[in-house]
Amino acid sequence: MSDEGIVVARVEDVPDGEAIRIDAAVTGTVDAIAVFNDGGDFFALDDTCSHEKASLADGWIEDGVVECPLHAGKFCLKDGAVLSMPATRDVACHQVIIDGADIRIVPNPDRLQ
Amino acid sequence: MTSSDALPTAGSPTERRDAGRVVIVGGGLAGFSAAERLRVLGHTDEITIVEGEDCLYDRPPLSKELFAEGFDVDALEFATGERLADLGIGTRHGRRATAIDPTAASVTLDSGEVLPADTILLATGGRARTLPVPGADLPVVHVLRTLADAQAIRDAVSAGCRAVVIGGGLIGAELASALRKVGAAVTLVDPSPTPLAHAVGELMANHLHGMHLAHDVDTRLGVAALIEPASDGSATVVLADGDRLPADLIVVGIGIIPNQEIGVAAGLDADDGILVDAHQRTSAPKVFAAGDVARRRGDDGVMHRREEHWEAAQLSGQAAAAGMLGLAPEVRGTPWFWSDRHGVHLEVVGRLSGSGTQIVREGGPHPAVFLIEDGLLVGAGSLDDANTVRAARRLIDQRIPVSADELADPAVSLRAMLRASR
Repeated sequence: MSDEGIVVARVEDVPDGEAIRIDAAVTGTVDAIAVFNDGGDFFALDDTCSHEKASLADGWIEDGVVECPLHAGKFCLKDGAVLSMPATRDVACHQVIIDGADIRIVPNPDRLQ
Repeated sequence: MTSSDALPTAGSPTERRDAGRVVIVGGGLAGFSAAERLRVLGHTDEITIVEGEDCLYDRPPLSKELFAEGFDVDALEFATGERLADLGIGTRHGRRATAIDPTAASVTLDSGEVLPADTILLATGGRARTLPVPGADLPVVHVLRTLADAQAIRDAVSAGCRAVVIGGGLIGAELASALRKVGAAVTLVDPSPTPLAHAVGELMANHLHGMHLAHDVDTRLGVAALIEPASDGSATVVLADGDRLPADLIVVGIGIIPNQEIGVAAGLDADDGILVDAHQRTSAPKVFAAGDVARRRGDDGVMHRREEHWEAAQLSGQAAAAGMLGLAPEVRGTPWFWSDRHGVHLEVVGRLSGSGTQIVREGGPHPAVFLIEDGLLVGAGSLDDANTVRAARRLIDQRIPVSADELADPAVSLRAMLRASR
């Protein structure tokens, strides 16, 4: 399984309750990808909030949810489903594989450039 | 249509009741949130929103994004027609409710049509307060409340035009910033040297107001006494001290007046807003109110301020939905709002004025401010640092003791303080 996806970071780069932003050029996707650590579980979503332009990697992460840093629209970390206004549209999610100390992302095929 | 599969968060269903046919007067955030939440809570009967405008839309971008490319109805709508149909939410656009019968629970429209209902929600919002001076009705004078208002301001602006914004509160500051960004020469008039001090505290208010100067917005201390028309369609704002401010565009942002008349005429208790309890119930059993038009009267009779912020409208609409179904409202977090000016994002939770000790966190490009009382945090404000306020909100809600030294120390994140308490 170690050849699946793209290594985007090491596990230690993303402390619990935080996220990092992976540039779209790295993953070949149409948007940057935010990689979240919520209590030791890792998730990846399109980074740009579907409401305006904020980076979800800067959001508040808690209980399986990321809250947008601008207007607190909420998204489910597991599948990107919008949970709260002002956002009204989901964001795409990507597959995360923890490969030893590496974090690999398998980009959502619908979001490839 | 959403079924009843998502009930759990709305508190104990002490005495669930059937709200029957619900007519919601007003399709802003409070009205729409109530409709949506009714479906989440399993309400299956008719829901009809009466809205004088052409769509149901979100207002915060009106004062921030009105000059942005792609600013239009599609970007603001709460839901597409398809989504509304999926939710089973009916709409009557272009019609205004002129009267309600609180006993029969019917709503009369300006067409003469009477909508029968079993439960009514008044979410009529507010209207922009106008300036009580001669000349305030000139065509060059605008207010900002609706999409049409925003479009009219946009159409009136060109680079280099002289704009005078009267009122340095949230709307005035946001608009001054947006006007400056598109190249208008902007003068901002307010009677206070630190507008918003009641909302964000003196220090933050001073910092915020100072940003105008740094962005070439001319700030004037004063009040408008008169607006004089000029022959070329422009006008001059004359301040009480005699200062004269020629303008091609004047925008007045001095607060709102609750649209409570329809409730008052029906005999509902009102006092600067239709009075409601924690369930958004008015003094008439079949009538609820939410959003800017509603004012909370505590069980102890204490009158609260009307909360004119976005989240307050959303949560009060949701609480009204629960109330209509006889369910307890969800516990609300400490009040929170945001604002944007000159490219900087302000967030505030709780109160930053009144009793307590103010703590300032320096060290970044902008200060963060906190108010503590009896060892507990009661308010926080930050610029371009939303997570400090998000953490503060949880520290306040969970009544976690805080130390003044840690709050003042930029090396200690509030998130870490929150985690340490768990």
